[in-house]
Amino acid sequence: MKRMIVSALAAFILAASARAQDPSAAELLARVDSNEVYSSISYKGRMTIEYQGKRYVKTFEAFARGGSDSYVEFLNPEDKGTKYLKTEGRLYVYSPDSEEVMLISGHLLKESMMGSDLSYEDTIDNEKLSARYVPTLAGKETLEGREAWVLDLAARKKTESYPRQKLWVDVVTGDLLRFELYALSGSKLKEYVLLKAQAIGGRRFPVEFEMRDLLRKGSRTVFLMSDVVLDARVPDSVFSLRNLER
Amino acid sequence: MKRLENQDGTGGLAALLTIAYRNIWRNGRRTALCVTAIAIAVFFNIFMQAWIVGMLRSIEEVVRTYETGHVNVVSSLFENDKEYYPVQYPVADGRSADELVSRIEAIPGVKAALPRVTAYATLFDSTVKHALLWGIDPDRERRVNLFNLTDRNDGMSRGRYPRMGTNECAIGFEMARKTGLGIGDRIPLKTVSAQFSDKYWNPEIVGIFRFDYRRFDEDVIIVPIDRLSRILVLGGGTQQLFVYAEDPGRTSAIRSEVAGVVGAGNVVRAWTDNYWVAIMKQSTFLFYVIFGVFQVVASFLIINTVLMVIHERIKEIGMMGALGMTRREIVLVFFFEAVYLSVIGAAAGCLVGGLASWIGSLFPIDLNTFTGGGMKDMPISSTIFLAFSPGILAQGFAFGVAVSAACTLIPSLRSAFIEPVEALRR
Repeated sequence: MKRMIVSALAAFILAASARAQDPSAAELLARVDSNEVYSSISYKGRMTIEYQGKRYVKTFEAFARGGSDSYVEFLNPEDKGTKYLKTEGRLYVYSPDSEEVMLISGHLLKESMMGSDLSYEDTIDNEKLSARYVPTLAGKETLEGREAWVLDLAARKKTESYPRQKLWVDVVTGDLLRFELYALSGSKLKEYVLLKAQAIGGRRFPVEFEMRDLLRKGSRTVFLMSDVVLDARVPDSVFSLRNLER
Repeated sequence: MKRLENQDGTGGLAALLTIAYRNIWRNGRRTALCVTAIAIAVFFNIFMQAWIVGMLRSIEEVVRTYETGHVNVVSSLFENDKEYYPVQYPVADGRSADELVSRIEAIPGVKAALPRVTAYATLFDSTVKHALLWGIDPDRERRVNLFNLTDRNDGMSRGRYPRMGTNECAIGFEMARKTGLGIGDRIPLKTVSAQFSDKYWNPEIVGIFRFDYRRFDEDVIIVPIDRLSRILVLGGGTQQLFVYAEDPGRTSAIRSEVAGVVGAGNVVRAWTDNYWVAIMKQSTFLFYVIFGVFQVVASFLIINTVLMVIHERIKEIGMMGALGMTRREIVLVFFFEAVYLSVIGAAAGCLVGGLASWIGSLFPIDLNTFTGGGMKDMPISSTIFLAFSPGILAQGFAFGVAVSAACTLIPSLRSAFIEPVEALRR
């Protein structure tokens, strides 16, 4: 009997020590943030959209600074000259068809951006997840041979576009392998799958991923980034309305 | 009874008709009631027919003007997703709209082949968030179509149609009211091109139209087709082709020839294949059944009247029999009385129904008054003209007389089986 009690105690202490090595949900989310949130970025992008049996490729050049400023200019022939600028919490677009700058606001922000599975809101958010969501560790799962922590995020504000998110974070690298975005009703709206992450400037950064808007049947967008430069200085003039009209 | 008959019996029939005619005026109140009932049934029959035919004509006209033309051409891929108005599936992919138009217009009997492009747009406005862009060649369209189906004109209530190649548009009066926009204002919008790109546009409003077709007045922005095609990157193709025939009766033949021009991979349809047109035509039989039920109900009054007459005049029937009238002659007298009532009632119903439908054919009825705009999804003008035609009047009259007269046969026959001696004893 005495041996049985000793064995049980030993097992409990071992389990407790192993548990103590698990990172907390907040730590995991902070790790994701530190990998994916930047002070500035510039890159060349390529979006491959597959929808209704057709495939559309869009190329662009993008610059962003902190969570407030971003600038995207499309380069593919069909969209050449279309530019987006987010500054001071507002999103502007310049279209060569209208030859003028227009402010995108309200319901338009929820629309698909350039026919992709990402909305304007998805593309302009660069605020830390930890500032917007309360995380809960939901366990550990294996995704395509990679062990991942599962995090459940609940929005801090009611105005958040996705009140709930579910994240899979690589146990070893801290890569955000997959996430799912949910509506208030609990229905899944979008799915993200990491295809490739690279070590850039001492951090793991996602350079290729797939996004699926589940409200659009059979649609997917593969987002590929190249020539990524993180945390380098981007001139103020890039984020100006004048640059948009140029 | 010999004095009632000629040798061929015709004089006898005239005498019976005279007796029957005199009899109907013996109780004026009863006759008036009976005639009124038949008149109301016939009036209802004629008015409803005028309404249904007017509605059917309105649907057909709306379908031909806005939805299909006489012959409509789209690609098969467009047809699969037509409720979304996809712009990435042009008619006869790879061939220019100009080439298709010139080849189709060379077909004998074709009045015009009009390319049109329809696309969804998201408005920047927070009250009206979505609209339909309707790309047309306004000048060519107006030579073929009258867009306002009530006033029979081009439907422009203020300003003018946008000019080809310009950054102009016209919006419906309902949209103008909801958004508070007017002539000279701009209407910023986003649409999606054939290459699946977001296209931002800010056309200037140069006209406010009123087509009396709720869906268009509320949702549609008319833009020049060349400008819209450029924005949507259609590359010279067109999303839809509307073919108009000189003689609509040749629609079927023209449809076959157009199918030959555009080739495989396209859907070529005649306007008669439109869902709403087909549904309305199928429903016509049901309407006739409803009219018939009304007529039969009204005829019960005649049956009742004839039975009462027979009951009241039972001694008279006995007297007629005793004086030598045959059963057949007695039955005929009562039957003719009923026929007179039917004819007078049907004639009165025809007169009132004809007058009402004639007035309704001159002054349209505003459907919004009844539906509050709830028929927006149905291709029907907001105002309909009743159909006034001698055919409908004749049909209503014949229907009224035939049903009413047929209903009186059974009570009339009762009079034949009353024994004269038994009748005189009462």
